[in-house]
Amino acid sequence: MTPATLLLYTLAATLAAGLGALLGGWGWFARHAVGWATAAAAGLMLGIGYVLLAAGQAIAPAPTLLGALLGLGAVRLADASPRGRGTATAGADTARVSSPPATDAGEILASALHSAVEGVAIGAAAGVGAPLASFLILTFAVHNISEGAVLGALLSGRGWRGRAAAGMAMLARSTQPLVAVSVLFLVLALPPLLPWLVGASFGALLYLIVAELLPHSYRLAGRTAIAVVVCLAAGVVALMGGGR
Amino acid sequence: MTSAFGLPIAWAVFLAALVTALATGLGAVPFAFIRRLSPRGAAAANATAAGLMLGASLGLLAEGVHHSPSRTFVGAALGIGFILITQRLLGHHEPEIGQLTGVSARRALLFLVVMTVHSFAEGVAVGVSFGGGESLGLAITLALAIHNIPEGLAITAVMRPRGVSLWTCAFWSVFSSLPQPLMAVPAFLLVDRVRPALPFGLGFAAGAMVYMVLIEILPEAYDAAESRTIALLVGGTTVVMLLFQQYL
Repeated sequence: MTPATLLLYTLAATLAAGLGALLGGWGWFARHAVGWATAAAAGLMLGIGYVLLAAGQAIAPAPTLLGALLGLGAVRLADASPRGRGTATAGADTARVSSPPATDAGEILASALHSAVEGVAIGAAAGVGAPLASFLILTFAVHNISEGAVLGALLSGRGWRGRAAAGMAMLARSTQPLVAVSVLFLVLALPPLLPWLVGASFGALLYLIVAELLPHSYRLAGRTAIAVVVCLAAGVVALMGGGR
Repeated sequence: MTSAFGLPIAWAVFLAALVTALATGLGAVPFAFIRRLSPRGAAAANATAAGLMLGASLGLLAEGVHHSPSRTFVGAALGIGFILITQRLLGHHEPEIGQLTGVSARRALLFLVVMTVHSFAEGVAVGVSFGGGESLGLAITLALAIHNIPEGLAITAVMRPRGVSLWTCAFWSVFSSLPQPLMAVPAFLLVDRVRPALPFGLGFAAGAMVYMVLIEILPEAYDAAESRTIALLVGGTTVVMLLFQQYL
């Protein structure tokens, strides 16, 4: 996949964040639709993570697995925002709700930082193969709907107009294409970095699935249905080898 | 045919697989130093177990896909279906495991069933590896024995917070691996017939374990700890398990 194609695809995926923000009303149907979409995204990410891991281990196992630990740590640091990412479920997560609310700029910055980490995964996947990257971009497009919905609902609650909130949600997610293209350039210039970045992507995807997508979807649609959807989506991607 | 130790080779296979099963009991040892887990500690233990199981599942899937992706996928689907049906069946019963009753026992029993079923594939792996030569068999035995310790840890991490005694945890850990010596010998003797079925078994075990993580272990962990902490633990232990499998 060329950097230009990657930029085009990932920019298209950010539009989904605007759609999510416009769903900010959170009616019954929207809530369940977002729950299912989030579960599907979690399953797809798990399957893609597996394919990325296999690809990285085939090139160089040690850098891939050490990269996974680094990716995990990096995404955790990027997630240390005052906003609870809007995905808290129950128990101790509710503690974050009572923490002082972040400013609008803080919310947008947190979303942008979060998207940047996802951009690393897309860029690394593009270095492995175009079909795998396309799969991942499509997955993140689905994920962007729920991310946009969370940010949109938050901004709307603070008096932002629907269109302005949608525009800001898309702008915040625009770090995704920028970082993805940068990472692809890096991989093309320095191929030995590929297993490190592929490993880091696996770690980052696993973190996103467990920290955000699963608790969010469990809350919206119940655990049995979500477990089946996640396994099915992950299995299909793994069977297809992520399109590789 | 005798082994390097003078034993008939079939007995050597059985003893090797028995050692791997007994090694699972060592997973209970760290809990000798921890008397009682707080809710956050229990959540951390669940997250650790989830990560170890996820890592083990990814390893099994990779091995299965290496043999046959489609058979592995079918096996995984059967594994998920098996857990769904087991769950439904257990939904009408109130089993007792040691000091456990009711919901806790159902969850622990489901977990044990998964781990026991998953041991069948490992027993086959030991047997099949001896078919490739004694040195290969011993190497795989050593790897699986070490691999079983975290599995025992995972079982204990699920049962111990629910009040089960340390010895009972060790017993169920070893019990979950008993299919290994039972399966190793027939697998060794029928290695060529068993080999085509191997990806089904590997997929079955992986599908069952991943589904178990999603339906029971993670939701329980989310109830008592912050999801970001859980994610860090799950991710870290998954990678450690993968490193373990890669280099042992």
